[in-house]
Amino acid sequence: MNRRLGLLVGAVAVIAAACSSSGSGGSAAPGGSAAAAGSGGAGCTVGVSWNNFQQPRWAAHDKPNIQKTVEGAGGKYIDADANLSNTQQATDIDTMISKGAKVLIVLAQDTKAVLPSIAKAKQAGIPVIAYDRLIEDPSALYITFDNVAVGKAEADAVLKAVPKGNYVLIKGDPGDPNAKTFLPSGWDQAGLKDKVTSGDIKIIGPADGTYTDAWKTEKAQTNMEAIIDSAKSSNQKIDAILAENDSTALGVVGALTSKSYGYPPLSGQDGDVANLNNVALGKQYVDVWKNANELGKTAGAAALALCAGGKMDALTLPSGLIDPSVAPAAGLTSKPFTTPGNNTVSSFILQPTPLLAADLQKAIDGGQITKAELCKGVDASKAPAACK
Amino acid sequence: MANVADVAPVPGQTQAEPPTRTSIRGLFAQTEIDSRLFGMLIAFVLILVTFHILSGGTLIQPDNMITMSVQAAGIAIIATGMVLVIVSRNIDLSVGSLVGLISMSYALWMTDWFPRIFGLGPDVPFQWLLALALGIGMGAAVGALQGFIIAYIGVPSFIVTLGGLLSIRGLVWYQSEGAAVVGLDPTFDLIGGGALGSVGGLITWILGIVGCVAIIAILYNSRRQRRRYNFPVRPMWAEVLLGAVGCGVVLALAWFANNAFWPKGLADQYAIDHHVDPNGLQIPIGFPYPIVLLVIVTLVMTFIATRRRFGRYVYAYGGNPDAAELAGINTRWTILKTYVLMGILCAFAAAIAAARLNGSTLDIGTSYELYVIAAAVVGGTSFAGGIGTIPGAVLGAFVLAALNYGLSFIGVNSPGQNVAAGVVLILAVGFDTLNRRRGS
Repeated sequence: MNRRLGLLVGAVAVIAAACSSSGSGGSAAPGGSAAAAGSGGAGCTVGVSWNNFQQPRWAAHDKPNIQKTVEGAGGKYIDADANLSNTQQATDIDTMISKGAKVLIVLAQDTKAVLPSIAKAKQAGIPVIAYDRLIEDPSALYITFDNVAVGKAEADAVLKAVPKGNYVLIKGDPGDPNAKTFLPSGWDQAGLKDKVTSGDIKIIGPADGTYTDAWKTEKAQTNMEAIIDSAKSSNQKIDAILAENDSTALGVVGALTSKSYGYPPLSGQDGDVANLNNVALGKQYVDVWKNANELGKTAGAAALALCAGGKMDALTLPSGLIDPSVAPAAGLTSKPFTTPGNNTVSSFILQPTPLLAADLQKAIDGGQITKAELCKGVDASKAPAACK
Repeated sequence: MANVADVAPVPGQTQAEPPTRTSIRGLFAQTEIDSRLFGMLIAFVLILVTFHILSGGTLIQPDNMITMSVQAAGIAIIATGMVLVIVSRNIDLSVGSLVGLISMSYALWMTDWFPRIFGLGPDVPFQWLLALALGIGMGAAVGALQGFIIAYIGVPSFIVTLGGLLSIRGLVWYQSEGAAVVGLDPTFDLIGGGALGSVGGLITWILGIVGCVAIIAILYNSRRQRRRYNFPVRPMWAEVLLGAVGCGVVLALAWFANNAFWPKGLADQYAIDHHVDPNGLQIPIGFPYPIVLLVIVTLVMTFIATRRRFGRYVYAYGGNPDAAELAGINTRWTILKTYVLMGILCAFAAAIAAARLNGSTLDIGTSYELYVIAAAVVGGTSFAGGIGTIPGAVLGAFVLAALNYGLSFIGVNSPGQNVAAGVVLILAVGFDTLNRRRGS
């Protein structure tokens, strides 16, 4: 028995050795052929550091579009997921620098904690693209949606539906500038602040809004349940809810359902499948969709342009690559952007798309959702146009 | 129970005081109520009363207390198992991820797999039961695997379950590529509570009366057994007091829960469906299903921990692993079983979490492990092993839930909630440590 086991182990070892040697031989060949193909991005390794794959969108839309754009031009795509940890992200960035990345695309876990890693990349002469989340460093190219415009689109839609009444504000992670600064200033641009001052709108719960650790659905749900109870106990009716994104909006819908409260107009953003379904079902009023496919393409194209030696403050994206309704309002050349920390960075700022029940066809056309997913459980008599 | 050390006057105190204190303590000791548990119950009530005052007298209402209890239920259910794991000197960090895995499985099975496999469209009959059974099996299997590696291969439980925490959460991502999955079976959703997910007025009263009768029967039976074996019995006044208070509390809870009523919209719909007058129609909510489940789990787990051989082995091993081994206990098999139990409890908690959301997301169950461990520890479970009670852990979970809920209710944001939970955790264990040091 023992001898047989020994033989088996020996055989496995031999086979493994054979495989690994043939493997290394095999991998040399495609490397050579890629160099021979030599389109615009050849020799360009783009490293992407994701802070998380917890939120569905990154892996579903951003990643494949960056990868397609980079690899389509003959470049090489590598990435790592930091699992919501600042230290893991620092390690990931080190690793990608040592793997020979020519450009880094970073979805930062924290806008400031990531700075030492950015400094390392700078020393190594590697340009950095801050992807969707700001990095407070003047040398980083900022590619994002206009988050102020996202907030404005959320509040525009809900304020139009409910111009007066009691509002609940559900915000995201207290450490995220999107949650704390950009989206709320969009709400204020849409007129929320003025209406609060004039008394047309009353905020239930904390006046500054209720934050949600790590944008967690479950946390948003427990918070919202307490707010509903608190409102009921003081005989106030909730007329509308501004939730900053879809994962928190989903928690709000969960709370409204478990409390059988009905569904007052509710905002969200990201265009997640479950939330678009809720828009079709009438449980969420508006979902502001940042077409992440276009964001991914923009980042991929910008990375290739940087690889080719383009200067940050004068990068131009190829025309026809990005949907015109989403493309930066300021044009296809990078523009300066002043950060909350008073740094001036080069930027591409894309436009969001608000989706009400009547606009849902756009999400199907954009490949964000299939008709079957969108219309699941939708009552035919109340169905929006996209489900008919 | 009062020994000489307890009676001895503390230096610096007046001579007149000790006798009354001693006698109250003595009387309390005669009721054989766990003073620790009792102290925590007081702390729990104090927290609620404080928030009640801070909220201008609006917090303690049937509706609100039902919400808070349902929010506590999932953590409390897992905490009953965590007690046994920590008592046997192990830890389980993977519970949050396992809840996520099973919760996402429930969602996928009921929205996608079952309808496709059975070809019956979206409403497969009894699919909620099938999902629950599979989820329990899945939890038990993952628990058995981790338990096996810990008990039989000897990898420290901290490492194994830390690996579980990471890898299982990763698997959840692969299940749906990170997307939220919503739209569960309506029957399954009942386990999440809410107006529909509650047993209703009549059954709540029946459960209250059954609970009341059970308390009296248990007291009576225990007295008879003690007599039979010539054990000391509680004085009669203590028996009557315990019976009356226990019975009173259970019936009061039933009355309280029945004073929460269906929301108006739902009641109006009911009136239309059943052709009754909607004016003044008040349908009592009663005990929510997740709380009924929690009570059953607590009773069964307490029974297992205190009345079954397995439970005694767990405490024996926790008290002294070598002695337990030498006494002939199959310690490895015992440890493995604690993890299987843990997996099953995670399946219940996952059902509540998924039903509450009517679906599942990638982040469901995140940081449950911390809250569950905190609940067990606040409830008096000692990391040194051998010490911990299941009702204590449940109460611990309620203390933490009361803090979170109360702070949300009065409008304190989540960073404040985290600070409070952390401080209470340290305070609870701090008091406990001081108490034990003074006791020894």
